[in-house]
Amino acid sequence: MRLDINDKGFEVADADHLTLLDVLRDRLELTGTKLVCDRGECGACTVLLNGEPAYSCLTLAAACEGVSITTIEGVARNGELHPLQQAFVENDALQCGYCTPGQIMAALALLERSPSPSESEVVHWMSGNLCRCGTYPKIVRAVLAASRAMNGDETDGAGSDGD
Amino acid sequence: MATRSNGRRFVSTRVEVEGREEVRTVELPAFEVEPWKAGAALEIVGHCALRADGVDKVTGRARYSADIQRAGMLHAAVLRAAIASGHATVDLSRVRSLTGVRDAVAGGDIRPVEVNGLPLLDATVRYAGQPVAVVCADSREEAELALRAIEVAYEATPHAVTAAESLAPDAPHVRPTGNSPDVSPRVTERGDVDAGLVEADVVITREYRVPAALHTALEPHGAVAEWTGDHLTVWESTQGVFNTRSDLAAALEIPISHVRVIQDYMGGGFGAKNGASTNAYIAALMAQRTGRPVRCVNDREGEQMDSGHRPTSVQRVTLGAKRDGTLTVIVLDADVALGIGGWEGGPGAIYQELYRCDNVRTTENFAYTNLGAMSSFRAPCNVEGAFGLERAMDVLARELNMDPLDLRLLNYAASNQGKNTPYSAKRLDECYRAGAERFGWWVRDGATRTPGGNGSAGGALVDAARKPRAKSGRLRRGYGMASQIWGGGGGPPAYAMVRLEPDGSADVLTGTQDLGTGSRTVFAQIAAEALGARLEDVRVVIGDTERTPYTGNSWGSITVASVGPAVRMAAEDARSQLLEAAAGILDTTPDRLVAHNGVVRLRRGTRSLTFAEIGKHLGDVMIVGHGSRGPNPDDTTLSTFGAQFAEVEVDVDTGVVRVLKIVAVHDSGRIINPALAESQLHGGIIQGTGYALFEERVVD
Repeated sequence: MRLDINDKGFEVADADHLTLLDVLRDRLELTGTKLVCDRGECGACTVLLNGEPAYSCLTLAAACEGVSITTIEGVARNGELHPLQQAFVENDALQCGYCTPGQIMAALALLERSPSPSESEVVHWMSGNLCRCGTYPKIVRAVLAASRAMNGDETDGAGSDGD
Repeated sequence: MATRSNGRRFVSTRVEVEGREEVRTVELPAFEVEPWKAGAALEIVGHCALRADGVDKVTGRARYSADIQRAGMLHAAVLRAAIASGHATVDLSRVRSLTGVRDAVAGGDIRPVEVNGLPLLDATVRYAGQPVAVVCADSREEAELALRAIEVAYEATPHAVTAAESLAPDAPHVRPTGNSPDVSPRVTERGDVDAGLVEADVVITREYRVPAALHTALEPHGAVAEWTGDHLTVWESTQGVFNTRSDLAAALEIPISHVRVIQDYMGGGFGAKNGASTNAYIAALMAQRTGRPVRCVNDREGEQMDSGHRPTSVQRVTLGAKRDGTLTVIVLDADVALGIGGWEGGPGAIYQELYRCDNVRTTENFAYTNLGAMSSFRAPCNVEGAFGLERAMDVLARELNMDPLDLRLLNYAASNQGKNTPYSAKRLDECYRAGAERFGWWVRDGATRTPGGNGSAGGALVDAARKPRAKSGRLRRGYGMASQIWGGGGGPPAYAMVRLEPDGSADVLTGTQDLGTGSRTVFAQIAAEALGARLEDVRVVIGDTERTPYTGNSWGSITVASVGPAVRMAAEDARSQLLEAAAGILDTTPDRLVAHNGVVRLRRGTRSLTFAEIGKHLGDVMIVGHGSRGPNPDDTTLSTFGAQFAEVEVDVDTGVVRVLKIVAVHDSGRIINPALAESQLHGGIIQGTGYALFEERVVD
């Protein structure tokens, strides 16, 4: 099958029975997308399919032919972090980092459909992504900061306290 | 304090391990660096540097152990027992011919390796979820599919899954050596408990039950193993690469130097990854059999059933106090269900230590049960112990008509009574007061109180004011507070090297791990501060037994306190050498030079050299600084403390609890990076809230 991942074409053989997650991780070594619960509960495997968030552990790769797939590896462009990635770094919105790719993919989809979400909207939207390190307050903070940065609001933005 | 003055370089000292103490040999450093004084003018340490590996983590570049791919790698899948006790006869005949399957084994097919003191893949089933067979295949799908073709005939025998069942007179045999470890019951006693009960004006007795909690770090337990001749390399998700190395070498009966354990990034541990995992043994054994690299990562069943948990306990607590609130007696009788193995992690320690009381007895009855083995879990013992003790203190305060905080302040322990040692520093009283202030403890639910604690009237409340504001409504408010005490002082041995590169950058090499706490970041900060380097020029290389010097496990909140001094000493050593080199170039003496912000300059004068310019002069001459962690002072307890306050709203119709506010004040020693410390606190509070309100392992 032919997959379009991060605007690049990939040929994958004998993968009709595989999930998109296993193709990404084990065939293409795109290991930023994580395998955790393997049952659509934790969100660590979140990718975008035509811009919509999807659990790649529950998605057959074969169903993704002709679909534009975006993984965490495709979010930064030309070596420049996406404002959302920047906001995660600056707000320390990660600890071990294992859930982070999924968190960022889910938040990207949110900001795509709702460029200026309220705090409760962010909390609700991100509830499908678990973080066992308990970084939730800073994840919410980072998504809101990214929203402001992407809307050109320079007044606040990503505020690590800067001492 | 042990010093080299007696001429000995290697001495024995007590080292804290997850709340326990062990005697170990340590090396006394050639020189000791004085700790930075409170109020020292530090420019990098104590500031909110961004996480060093943040960019790697937000781009997906960070490679965790489960992400490691090796050429020709096979995927292992584990079949787990469907019974809790009995015998499993495994038939693999239909499996080996399946597409993609390269190997399949059951007990007897592999060399005898013990996990938790029991043979791996044993046909005798001793706990639910015990591995009984392993398949290796070209892909994860094929390996997992092949598990379904394994035929297992089970003969189930009676099992015990609670401490009560396991300790009953007619209980089934859980372990070959008996249903309790040798130390059980563990009785720790001081003073005279009977006299304390007589002395008490008020005695309360309560029973508290805490459930088993699962760590569920996002990265499951897992390993990739590869043999090169008779040398083994293992990428393991572990809190201790060196511990994993010694575990593997012992199990495989190969020299320790033939095992290399690597971990670059780790997706959380929380205490469940303190040595070689079952996965690492399986990966190493299967890689040896197949001659190919093998990845073995837990699936969800394996992770939840057989990768450790906080043990359940039943805590029967008796507290006695005089009318003025002075504790006269503390008695704990606890039953702890460990699972099939682990260590004797009981709730008793905090009962011994938290409050001043002359008559204390804790009895801990440990029971093995037919479930997966317990393991450390984020301040093991003290979290569950605090739950029982602090709840009982609240009950006692109510009986005494005292404010719960006043009762705690009145019974404040200035020293560690159990060990009869002073604390190096203890500011829990300040935590209480600052927390109460910020929380509004004394004006909660609209009442105004006077903090007291100096007699029956002190802090006592007008009865009406103590009642919830909405006593009859559906939504009611509740207020609570509790104390935290935990080690965290760290200790030796821990080593670090700081290597200056010709381009003026510096590498810190140390064999520690970054579980997500940010150790990479804080060690870069410490090294940059001590070296006089720019933070962005310092790279921290960790987690490789072959390429970095020894440090112990990242457990017990000790990593910064253990490894930090070694990193600092190595950086100071490197800086001394750097100044010597610069002195030669500048035709001066090292004492006239200072290193700051990546530049060496004369204290008086304008001449200066960047680290890179010095590196260019030195050519291939390499400056390497060495550091090690010296021993702790004798007869002093090093501990961390804290107090937390919570306001919750309870829907009395549905039972739904909303946490409205938590104030946490902690005495944790020098904070290297406030932003990371804050992240740690958020995580601890959220995980603790989860444990208190929601989490419980339920096995059907």
